[in-house]
Amino acid sequence: MSLQQRLQRLARKSGLDDLSAQIRTSVERGLEQRVKLAITGLSRSGKTVFISTLAQHLLQSDQGRSLPFFCASADRRIIGARNLSLASDRPFQLQQTLADLQAAEPRWPASTDSLSEIRLALRYRRQPGLKRALGEHSTLYIDLIDYPGEWLLDLPMLEMNFQQWCQQQQALFGAEPRAQLSAEWRAQLQAVDWLAPATDEQQKQLARTFRSLLQQLREPPYSLSLLQPGRLLMPGDLEDSPLLDLFPLLAPWPDHADQAADDSLLARLQQTYDAYREQVVRPFYQDHFRHFDRQIVLVDCLKTLNQGETCFTDMQQALNTLLHSFNYGRNGLLRRLFRPRIDRVLFAATKADHVTANQHHNLDLFLQLLVESAQREIRFEQVDTRCLALASVRATTAAEARLDGQHLSCLRGQRKDNGEEIALFPGEVPVELPRPEDWSCERFRFVDFAPRPLPKGLLLPEHHIRLDQAVEYLLGDLFQ
Amino acid sequence: MKSNSNWQRPAELSPDALEPSKEQPATADYAEAREIPLEMAQDVAETRIDEQPAPRNTPRRRGPIWLISGLLTLLATAVGAELYRLISWSSDLHPLLGIGLGVLTLLLIGLVTLELHRGLKGSRQLKQVQQMQHQARVLLDQRSHGNSSQLIRQLGQFYNHTPLNSELQQALQQLDSSYNDREIMLYLNRHALSQADEAAQKCVQRYSVESGVLVAFSPWASFDMLLVAWRNLRMLREIATIYGLAPGLLTQGRLLKQLLQNLAFAGASELAMEAGSALLSSSLTSGLSARAGQGLGAGLFTARTGLTAIRLCRPLPDEQQDRGMLSNIAKGIVQRLTARA
Repeated sequence: MSLQQRLQRLARKSGLDDLSAQIRTSVERGLEQRVKLAITGLSRSGKTVFISTLAQHLLQSDQGRSLPFFCASADRRIIGARNLSLASDRPFQLQQTLADLQAAEPRWPASTDSLSEIRLALRYRRQPGLKRALGEHSTLYIDLIDYPGEWLLDLPMLEMNFQQWCQQQQALFGAEPRAQLSAEWRAQLQAVDWLAPATDEQQKQLARTFRSLLQQLREPPYSLSLLQPGRLLMPGDLEDSPLLDLFPLLAPWPDHADQAADDSLLARLQQTYDAYREQVVRPFYQDHFRHFDRQIVLVDCLKTLNQGETCFTDMQQALNTLLHSFNYGRNGLLRRLFRPRIDRVLFAATKADHVTANQHHNLDLFLQLLVESAQREIRFEQVDTRCLALASVRATTAAEARLDGQHLSCLRGQRKDNGEEIALFPGEVPVELPRPEDWSCERFRFVDFAPRPLPKGLLLPEHHIRLDQAVEYLLGDLFQ
Repeated sequence: MKSNSNWQRPAELSPDALEPSKEQPATADYAEAREIPLEMAQDVAETRIDEQPAPRNTPRRRGPIWLISGLLTLLATAVGAELYRLISWSSDLHPLLGIGLGVLTLLLIGLVTLELHRGLKGSRQLKQVQQMQHQARVLLDQRSHGNSSQLIRQLGQFYNHTPLNSELQQALQQLDSSYNDREIMLYLNRHALSQADEAAQKCVQRYSVESGVLVAFSPWASFDMLLVAWRNLRMLREIATIYGLAPGLLTQGRLLKQLLQNLAFAGASELAMEAGSALLSSSLTSGLSARAGQGLGAGLFTARTGLTAIRLCRPLPDEQQDRGMLSNIAKGIVQRLTARA
């Protein structure tokens, strides 16, 4: 092997061969020409639809029509936009998702089962001012990634070892509704001798039961969010991998744990947990979840209102735990170059089109209630936060009815489950946490609507709700 | 021990003992969810216009009105009598002279009436603008729905039959049904008056550069004041016309009064700060002579006046509008000055 080949190999190993690309990335970041936007949300909170419509609106932003509150676009300062995601190894299926929404009988995209990324380049004219000295035109690169929301909940596992994780899960499964549903499974665990040698088959068997338990908890009527490990619910490319034979030890921790045999269940679980953490969660975190500049947290508030208080508290807890995995703080110039932190967070209540327009403000307030403690911690780092009710795609139209002699605003749309067209007054969104006896279907009936077809050509403001305000808040200051 | 203290002892009451009238019925807490038959639902028009009468203006104070109208009557009678005597005297001299003077008098009376009419209309409009600004400010703080329809109707009436109407109507049509009052205000602020805003800003820029240059090159220092006042008055009139106010001396006078109040009380410190920073920060003044520096000052003063006039004439308040404009104007003036020098 010649010296040159060796050098090349060494360079590749140490990541030097893409050094120039890395430097360029850092410099662009430093000059605020590249922004990584974290789209955070639990599963089924609307990440994929948000990303695809956001991308489509931004790609058309040079027309200045569909985003009236996004100043750069409304002032016609955006010259053009380009989708650069084809260069990526895992491009986001923008065309496919949009085609689904544009079809004559449109449908919401299926659950995301793998990670994909999209990069947009927006060329814009600078505003008159100091920065104009850097050139009249500039390009902003926007990076977005889409991933299954289930995976997100794995991030807190990086901070815990197996024993700590088990303790946390024990606390969770000790409370209703998990306790009741998992009683049988926990009894099964009690009977196991953790220190005695065990077989692969035994571990697999137990993991399978745990997995079906998690799947049960995810579906209505429980609709829980805080379910770990996430890959058990959405394995992605890890289907049938031994890494997924993982479950928490929900029995009391064995007394003489250090005397466990090498192939005992305890030792096996510990190994699997460590391997899962290092080979699955850490790469996911390192490659994609560090170095964000801005963040939007999508929350489906209506689900919690439909499902009740347990769903509410569980979602609250899930959001609180997962937001700990992100770095918040203000960015100085050096900081932005080397270790950027999130300096602006938007909490968004999705599906604003599923309530009447006069309830949007209440939806804002209810969201504030849900994320209150997370918001407080983020504010402590002097980071801007805001709550906003939005809809990436508008599935309903506003209508009005006269009922019992009074005007009633209502919604008109097609049910998601049977496609029947209905007019609905879905009830008022409370601004305080309802009392236990108020969580009833008498009070809230938020129906899932099927989307209305998006046009194949230009989008208009009537195809979204407040997406433009979200963009303005998250990215507006970068188009200076 | 006698209990004549002035506080009442805490006591526990049974909830049943409370007066029922104080309690809200439990069902009134929220409206229940329900499905509505499709045929009963009508689509909502994007902008709703209610048939509510606009609130009447508050009645003015009586005292000065009597005084002024008394004086005016006296003056009119005196002038009328004098004119009558003039015409009769001149027609005694020669009938043609009498006819000529009579026609001239009629023409003059007609012109004064017209001016008075326009002036009254203008000042009424100015009052309307103030009222709309106030409403818009209130709405900007609200997240409610449907309260803005009155203001929208007023705006529509105000700009009916003016060149600004088409843009306003276009913006009103594009209002989304999901916008709350605050968003409607923000939207209209950005999109309904952009043509007028652009024209007004151009006007301010033109006049301030002009008055800056005029002052810089005027040979007599005492002449400067007159020059600036003249340009400012012209500018005031033009801005009022751009925002759809009927032009006239009375309008101009009223506007000037408000403007001076504004400049003197609200904006004095602001003015000093902005003008000072614009002068100092830009290092623009390094190559300028003392006269040119005065010109720059006069230009900035004109710009400041113009921006305040825009703020007074614009029916929707916009606090962010004039940001950065002063420094642009300063640059413009300096460019003109150095190009000529």
